[in-house]
This record gives sequence, C-alpha cells and structure tokens, in this order.
Amino acid sequence: MERWALVSGLRGDLDLYERIQRDLSTQRGVESLFVLGDLIGPERNCDALLERLRQPKRGDLKPDCIYGWWEEQLLAERGYRGDQNAQVLRREHGDDAVDALLKAVDERHLPWLASLQFGFIELDCALIHGSSADIGDRLTSETSPLILLDRLTRLDVNRLFTARSGQQFRLELTGGAIQSHVKDTAGEQQQEQAVPKRSVIGIGQGAAFSLYDAATDRLDFMRAGEPCVTPRRT
Amino acid sequence: MTPMAHAVISCLHANLAAVEAVLEDIDRQGIETITCLGDLVGYGPQPNEVVQLVRERAIPTCQGCWDEDIIDGLNACECSYPSQLAERRGHRAHHWTAEQMTDENKAFLASLPMTLRRDRLLFVHGSPNSQHEYLLPDMSAFAALERVETAGADTLFCGHTHQPYVRELSGGSIRVTVEQAGSEGATEQELTLPMRRIVNAGSVGEPRHGDTKATYVIHNDTSGEVTIREVEYDVAKTCQAIVDAGLPEVFAWRLSHGFEYAERADDASHVCER
Repeated sequence: MERWALVSGLRGDLDLYERIQRDLSTQRGVESLFVLGDLIGPERNCDALLERLRQPKRGDLKPDCIYGWWEEQLLAERGYRGDQNAQVLRREHGDDAVDALLKAVDERHLPWLASLQFGFIELDCALIHGSSADIGDRLTSETSPLILLDRLTRLDVNRLFTARSGQQFRLELTGGAIQSHVKDTAGEQQQEQAVPKRSVIGIGQGAAFSLYDAATDRLDFMRAGEPCVTPRRT
Repeated sequence: MTPMAHAVISCLHANLAAVEAVLEDIDRQGIETITCLGDLVGYGPQPNEVVQLVRERAIPTCQGCWDEDIIDGLNACECSYPSQLAERRGHRAHHWTAEQMTDENKAFLASLPMTLRRDRLLFVHGSPNSQHEYLLPDMSAFAALERVETAGADTLFCGHTHQPYVRELSGGSIRVTVEQAGSEGATEQELTLPMRRIVNAGSVGEPRHGDTKATYVIHNDTSGEVTIREVEYDVAKTCQAIVDAGLPEVFAWRLSHGFEYAERADDASHVCER
C-alpha cells in the first residue's frame, strides 16, 4: 500500500517545499502528499508557493491541501467568514501581523484558499490542521488523553493526524475503562466502557514532516534534508 | 424539604400550563432556589406569558438555542433538525414566535448568559460547548466526562434533549504510550479520571421521555442526591392553544404523546443553512 507524506506550516517558503519534494522523490512508495494547512504566513510573500501548490511542476508529488490557522485568519479578515475577522491573530500578534498577512498573499489566491476543506478522512484516519473541535486546537503529547479521546470520538476515526502544535509525536490509547451509571424515569443502568485503541499523531510543521504507511501503521518522523528521526520501538 | 435543595428546570417552550404546574410543585416543597436552563420559547403558544412569568419570579436563566434563534435569527442553525419536514415546522414556529414576542421580552432573552455557575455546579442549555449540542444519556462516557471536566465542574446541569436523566461517570482511567521525534523508545502513562456527573433536567413544556408529564429535577447541595420530578398538567389546554394559534398541529400531537415520533424521520439530504 502507498505511503503518505504529511506536511504543514510551509508558510510561504517555496525553498522548503522544494527541499521536501526532493526528499520525497528519494523515498520508496510515497504516493500521496497531504499539506495540512498553514500554507501561508506573514513572514514572506506566499504567492510563489501558492502558485506551485496549485500548479505543480512536472516531477512534483501532487499536493492535496486543506486550510489551517493562518488561512482561517486571512479568510476571516478578507470577509470569507461572515462577520468574523482576524480577531485571534490581532489579539495575539497585533495589527502589524494582520497587515503583514494581508500583504503576503495576493487576492487572486483567495477563492482557491476559500475552497480548501477543513480536513480529509482517508481510510480510518482524519487529517486535519488543529482538531475536530477547532482549527486552532493545539494537540500535543502532553494534552490530556481525555481530550484527545474526545477529539477522536467526534470524528469517529481510529487515527487523528494533527499539525497545529508543530510537535512530532504519536500517542496511542492502549487501555483503561470508565463506569457509567444512568438513572432516568425508566430505571437505572450500569455500564462499563473500555478505552478504544486509537491514536493521535502530531505530524510536525515546517521542515519537520511525517511519512505514514496505512497498511503497516508505520510512522516515520522526518526533517527536510536529514535522515529519519523516528524513535526505535522498544 | 431541606433548605439546601434547589430545583432545575429547562425547555419551557412557551407552555404556560406546564410551567405554572411545575412552579406550584416546586413551591409546595418549599424550595426557594430555582435555576432555568433556557428555551423559554418555541413550539408552544404562550411565549410572552412564559417569559413574563420567569421574569416576575426572577429565576436565574441561561440562554437556550430557541432563545438565541429568536434574537439572532435562524442563522443560528446548527443542524438541530433531524429532517427537512421538522426544519420547516421549526421555521414556522420560529416566525410565529418572533412575531408574537414583545421587544421587552426579546431584550430579556438577549440578556441571558450562556452559562451559570455556582461553585462546582455548572448550568448550561445544551453543553458547555454549544447551546445546540445534545448530551444524550448514551453518548460516549469519555466524551461526556470531557464536557464536564473541561468546563471545570463537578456536576453539569443541562437540558435540550427533553429527556431527564442523571449520569454518574466514575472509576475511569486511560493508559497511553507516547513516542516523540528525537526521543528513544516509547513511554507509558496512566491517567486516573475524576468522578463527575451530568444531570439533565428534561423538559417542562415539551416532554419527550415517553410520558406527557412535565419534568424537572431537584438537587440537594449537601447530599448530592438528585430527584427527577414528573408533574401532571392540563395537556389538552396547551394542545388546544397550539391549534388555535395556527402553529403546526404536530406540536400538539407530540405534546399529547410525550415523545418525538414526528421528529424521527431522519433525512439524509438535510443541509444545514449555515
């Protein structure tokens, strides 16, 4: 079965994208490239990268993109999200950051950015930028497993791939249970619910990306231009 | 009744006869503290009268999804309706209610908070996340616990489902293994989960628990005991008022049966207006 490349946080950096494409061309069996948002950012002009993502060069692994937190801020500020604007970006980074983001992306790209989906469901995996609760949700290896289980349950998937935190990690739910006692007008019921065996995977961002083989569940943490950094399973 | 008891009511839905009967039942027991979880209006024929009564009694109330819709318009749709038929009926009720209500009563609905909190007790209409989220008694126990725990409560009081229940979540744990880039091997951890409760107050004005009686709950702050109360009221009187008002007759039919058969025609083609 094919391997997936999972990338996020390019933030307009075409050089980085080309390095990742070169790395992927040396990897066996990588058939799909998913870019989980943050294609854009305020640091640099993003137009060249967006052109490349929309019209891949010959030899590029064709990218499938979703929108991320930075796209959400831009689209909100540009009026694509109803009455909302880039209030979170403005609150966290100020008006200058909003202005920089607006200058970083030409308006001709806005309809395409607005057409991107919130996430993909592939096999039993959800590929999203933040979480099923919010695009800005930063899931990390330290996030409470109760919250991670909730985010998995909301999408009814076995694996949730997330990018927002920038961390590269795999957290597997391996066991546990909870007792539920319900009393209503019809009587009382006691049930035990076991923790389902599910995983949350942080794919990294920028130069840190991941390769995943859905057939074997093998996950490799990568850095552009460097050897694999996946820990050995003990 | 001990003075530490308080009553929680929800989903009054403009049914004056039911609201009066429930308030009388609460008064008879000497309970002075009442909290209301919203949805004062919608479906029923007496929206102004019910809002007026809640205001006169100065009952602390949080905003329900119907209260929000009357203020913000139907763009507050969150796929609440299970079918297009149900949605059309809901829209008729919405427009009728919006026309009937006085500006003063609308302003009151607009002023309602999304949540009320008393120590470690949290009061919401649907869930801490949304007025439109249904916390059903059979939802994942872990997801249910997450709603209470993330909101920083010991007991979460909600309504919205129109089915009263008390759910205790206890003895929970989650084991995980974690791998990180650059770290050697995987680490194992175990999280012990706290005991939490969800108390659904059911519905005063539009019960859907298989009986026509209005429902609400009494919570004893000291012992933690929760009692689900069922109260008889003049159902026929409200049904007749629904028909007289020109509201969809299925609302009267539903009220006279106590369950939501008419709303179960799941329609896969339903598209959220948002």
